[in-house]
Amino acid sequence: MVSGNKHEGSRFLTNAGLVLALLLAVVLSVAPLLSGCSAVPTNEPVQIVIKVPRTSHSSLNDESISTIDEVVTLMAEDFMESYSQPVDVKVEVFEQSAYEDAVAGSFDTDKAADVLYGDYFNMSTFIHSGHVVPLDDIITPELQQDIYPFLWELSTVEDGVYMMPYLARQNVLAYNKDLFRQAGLESYIQDDGIQSWTQEEWTIILDTLAANLPQNTFPLMMYAHSSQGDTHIMTMLRAYGSPFFDEHGHFALSDLEAVQALDWIQQGVDRGWYPPHAENLEIEDCSRLFRGGQLAIYMINNVSVGRYGDSIGLVNFPGPDGGNATMFVSGFEVFDNGDPEKLQVAKDFLAHVYGSEPLMEYAAGTIPASMTVAEKYADETPRFTDFQENQTNVVDFTGGNPDTLSVREVFHEGMAKLLRKELTPEETAAWIDERANNAIDAGWATHVIHS
Amino acid sequence: MSEQKRSEEGSVSSPVIRKRYIATFALALTVIVGVVVFYLSSLQASLTSNLMTSVDEISLHDVESIEAWLDTTWSRLDSVSNRLEATKVDSVFEAEQELNIEAASSEMFDALYLLAADGTLYSSTYVELTDVEHSYDELMATGQDRFAMLYEEENGRLETTKESLIYGVRIDSLFIEGQEFIAVLGRSDVSTIRNQLLIESFDGQGISSVVNSRGYYIVNSSPATDLAGRDNFYDMLEAGHLEGGVTIDDIRNNIIEGERFTVDCVTADHQALVLSFAPVKGTNWSFLMAVPTKVFEERFAPFMTMTVGMMIVVVLVLALMMALLYRFMRRSVVARAESDARAEFLSNMSHEIRTPLNGIIGIQHLMTRHLDEPSVMQDYVRKLGNAAQYLLSLVNDVLDVSKLQAGKMNVVSEPFNLHEVIENVCEMQREPMADKGTKFTLDETDLRWVCLTGDGVRLSQVIMNILSNAVKFTPRDGSIDVAVRQKLLVSSEVATTITIRDTGCGMTPEFQKHIFDAFTQERNRNSESQKGTGLGMSISFMLMGLMGGTLSVKSTLGKGSCFTIYLPAYPGKLSGSVSGLTEAPKAKEGSTQALVEASAHALAQGVLEGSEESGKEAAATTVHSDALPGSGADSKSEEVPKVYRVLVAEDNELNAEIISTLLTEEGFEVVVAGDGKEALTRFEESTPGFYTVILMDAQMPVMDGYESAQAIRALNHPDAQSVPIIACTASTFAEDRARAEAAGMTDFVAKPIDISALLVKLDALIKGGQ
Repeated sequence: MVSGNKHEGSRFLTNAGLVLALLLAVVLSVAPLLSGCSAVPTNEPVQIVIKVPRTSHSSLNDESISTIDEVVTLMAEDFMESYSQPVDVKVEVFEQSAYEDAVAGSFDTDKAADVLYGDYFNMSTFIHSGHVVPLDDIITPELQQDIYPFLWELSTVEDGVYMMPYLARQNVLAYNKDLFRQAGLESYIQDDGIQSWTQEEWTIILDTLAANLPQNTFPLMMYAHSSQGDTHIMTMLRAYGSPFFDEHGHFALSDLEAVQALDWIQQGVDRGWYPPHAENLEIEDCSRLFRGGQLAIYMINNVSVGRYGDSIGLVNFPGPDGGNATMFVSGFEVFDNGDPEKLQVAKDFLAHVYGSEPLMEYAAGTIPASMTVAEKYADETPRFTDFQENQTNVVDFTGGNPDTLSVREVFHEGMAKLLRKELTPEETAAWIDERANNAIDAGWATHVIHS
Repeated sequence: MSEQKRSEEGSVSSPVIRKRYIATFALALTVIVGVVVFYLSSLQASLTSNLMTSVDEISLHDVESIEAWLDTTWSRLDSVSNRLEATKVDSVFEAEQELNIEAASSEMFDALYLLAADGTLYSSTYVELTDVEHSYDELMATGQDRFAMLYEEENGRLETTKESLIYGVRIDSLFIEGQEFIAVLGRSDVSTIRNQLLIESFDGQGISSVVNSRGYYIVNSSPATDLAGRDNFYDMLEAGHLEGGVTIDDIRNNIIEGERFTVDCVTADHQALVLSFAPVKGTNWSFLMAVPTKVFEERFAPFMTMTVGMMIVVVLVLALMMALLYRFMRRSVVARAESDARAEFLSNMSHEIRTPLNGIIGIQHLMTRHLDEPSVMQDYVRKLGNAAQYLLSLVNDVLDVSKLQAGKMNVVSEPFNLHEVIENVCEMQREPMADKGTKFTLDETDLRWVCLTGDGVRLSQVIMNILSNAVKFTPRDGSIDVAVRQKLLVSSEVATTITIRDTGCGMTPEFQKHIFDAFTQERNRNSESQKGTGLGMSISFMLMGLMGGTLSVKSTLGKGSCFTIYLPAYPGKLSGSVSGLTEAPKAKEGSTQALVEASAHALAQGVLEGSEESGKEAAATTVHSDALPGSGADSKSEEVPKVYRVLVAEDNELNAEIISTLLTEEGFEVVVAGDGKEALTRFEESTPGFYTVILMDAQMPVMDGYESAQAIRALNHPDAQSVPIIACTASTFAEDRARAEAAGMTDFVAKPIDISALLVKLDALIKGGQ
């Protein structure tokens, strides 16, 4: 049994300790003389740090994989085993909402990331800080041919490839077939393909759901308490055909179509489309409601679609011409932290990953960046063809601006005001445009590209 | 108590005293070490206690902060509950919306929940979990009114995957739509409580955290961001090991039972930690402070260093003081012993001086009665001479000891004949040995280097001291063996070893230790007839040391003694053959003269030791010279005999008369001056060549001898530079000789004046003048 407060007595002064202590006085005087003599040069391995946000992941070639950091860890182990010199690759995981702290917050410290894996729309910010290096020198002709061209395009900034695409996830909306049936919307249920409804259909469906679903079951996801998941709400602002961004990448929500969409969303509050006080909810709340059968329509991507089986139907976000979908491209960035040796090892790590077919195949189950992997696992990937065919409906939600993170902090606050009806749709559009574009301009003003 | 008894007691008690000193020292050392150990133990315990007090204070602070935070949180939940009741919502859905607004307006909660009596959990996010989908209702079964726990998916998957805390308060009879609700729960990000703690302490080395009984961290220095990434405290313990036989189950049970305790552990990376646990009231959590053991050691090290250093200094100072005290005491003891010895010595000296003086006075008295009886007078005169000679030797011994102790004794380094030295000494002792029937042998078969370089006179003195003692202490029909051994050393020196072995009474071991000490001789012990100052052995010992040799003794009480003289010396080169043991080369004349003096000195030692008979030799030793004014050679000269005038500067009338008479009887013409000034005047007024020599007393009134000699040398007199001036002084130290020489004096004669030696010098002067 552990005794309490047993520390009052002499803890360290045993007889031997006393002798040692008595000798300590002599040793202490000699120790400083000896201390300088013990350093023996060692061949210390080069250590690089790879940071990864905790993100769920499924891989067709390894069912034990549940998060993407597990894949990156396997990549690191394979690299360490095969690299020509001693190298220590450390994989650090951080929360999705902690990009700023995990990456920018550790610049110029010994915890700085040498490699970052993440979603492009979060990672692109760091390209414009000047810390991310171009990776053209590790792109072989074979690799150039193997990666989808549109991914190279998304990875290129000012003629340089600053991000290496590994996989992509296409986001669409999913509806709960049971709830649809409960609401009498069987006619809208479709087992195959990714549906698209007209704006009128959307309104009818949501009104019907609101009218027929139980009191604590809600038609459509809506949230604005944090920036998490805001890209999906942004996509809904394209419902009436708004391009969202102007030709310069600035927010253009004051356009008619965008204001119409804002108005449509705000109407939904009173029409019971969303959980009450949705401005106080987060995407996780909606996710939990959807999984618990308390939410009829929620976002989903081609990776997570497999979890729901046949219980859901897929539909694009509201929008003309077949609706809209978004694409989250995920991949790698390499940071220059002032240590050429680490920089080279980091690049060699990526060259190793992209030169290894087994490592690239861990993307199977998503939309792999590698066409070879995509084709190899096409038949095994759930609804692969549906998402491939829906690629034409994918819209850009970043606008290519340099400080996506700052913009996101603005957007959800504006939407909360809209949902609380503190602002009209027009005022909301102006409010978001002003602050988001200021953030974009500030980003451009300070942006630096590593050459 | 007799001296012998005291001596014997002293020889017995000395080891006992030494043992007592050692025991006292050992005891003192033990006490000091004990005190140091006790002090360091106390200091270490005190520091440890202070550090643990700091740990406790930090723990108390953090625990109070956490408990205050918990109270605040529960109060907020109470407020939510109260407002729900006050709002009087009509439906659960309305209640959920109220909770939604409450959660949004609170920075404390991410979500709020209502727990129905049937186990259904209603969330501010509208999520509803039936009793089968969660187990938070089980917390109510514990009877607690308030609880706080770490969010774990096992208890029901809520809206988040982030590490969160679930707080709850029991509510009374809240009914909505007929449904009874029993608790309000709140979910907060775990980071909210983190701000209540001082995570780091002790310069960042101490780490605070809070763990639950399952080992999961409520607060950690490196918090996980979600449930999948959180660390478990027990995993850390399992990776390392616990000290003192403590198990993880012990810790788990203690946390569950709300114990306050401390354990030691070593982590997987070999870091020793002190883990201090303190319960957090109202939870199954325990505040945990992990402090590396090295913090304690680092805090203690400076004190230990300073203390050890201070103790060393104190001990050294004490030891130094004790050494000084011991030295002072020893000096006091030695000084007292020396004082006693000197007192005894003076007493003896007084006795020794008074005895011959008494004889002299007595003889003088007898002589006045027998002035007209030449044969009786002759015997008295002889005895008078012996007594005077004894007094002289006594003074010489004291002077020798004084000079040797003061380091002012010089030994000469000149060739001498070792055989003659030994032979002369032995010869002087043959008669007393014969008188006692002592069997004497002299073994010189190994004497290969007869001539050595050194001070033969002093060696002769040493041998005489030892041999005369041997004769004295050897009973009748005993034996004395003298043996000489020599061998050539690597340094080309000849090592001469002279052993003098007797079958005398021997000495006690204690006495052997002190036999060579000055003033501390054990006396009157083995022979009632023993007399003298007892300085002979001391002088001999010091002389041998001065000559680079040694003198040692081995003796057995009642069986005899063996003295060994060891003398390393380079072979000497006499102008004649060195191989003939009895040859007397020219250079030996000087040695012969010295040996004569040595004989006198040795005889004096003999007299000193009470052998009156040996004094006969000294008295009989005279030096004759043909050149003296009164000698037969002069009287046979056909030329008009030259008059040799001696100017005697002497303030003492008796001494002046004696020297005048002696010199006059030797044929000199003597002019006496009563002081240096008069001597100067007489010489200044003399005609050239008038004075053959001047005998100048050193200490005189009006003008002393040194001034006078200087003045004479400074005169514008034809003989001022050439006339010999012989200093006569009782001071015989080298500096006195040097001073006389510096004053311009030619030679030096010690008082009392050895007439024979003086005549030799005068003879030499006259011959030189001729």
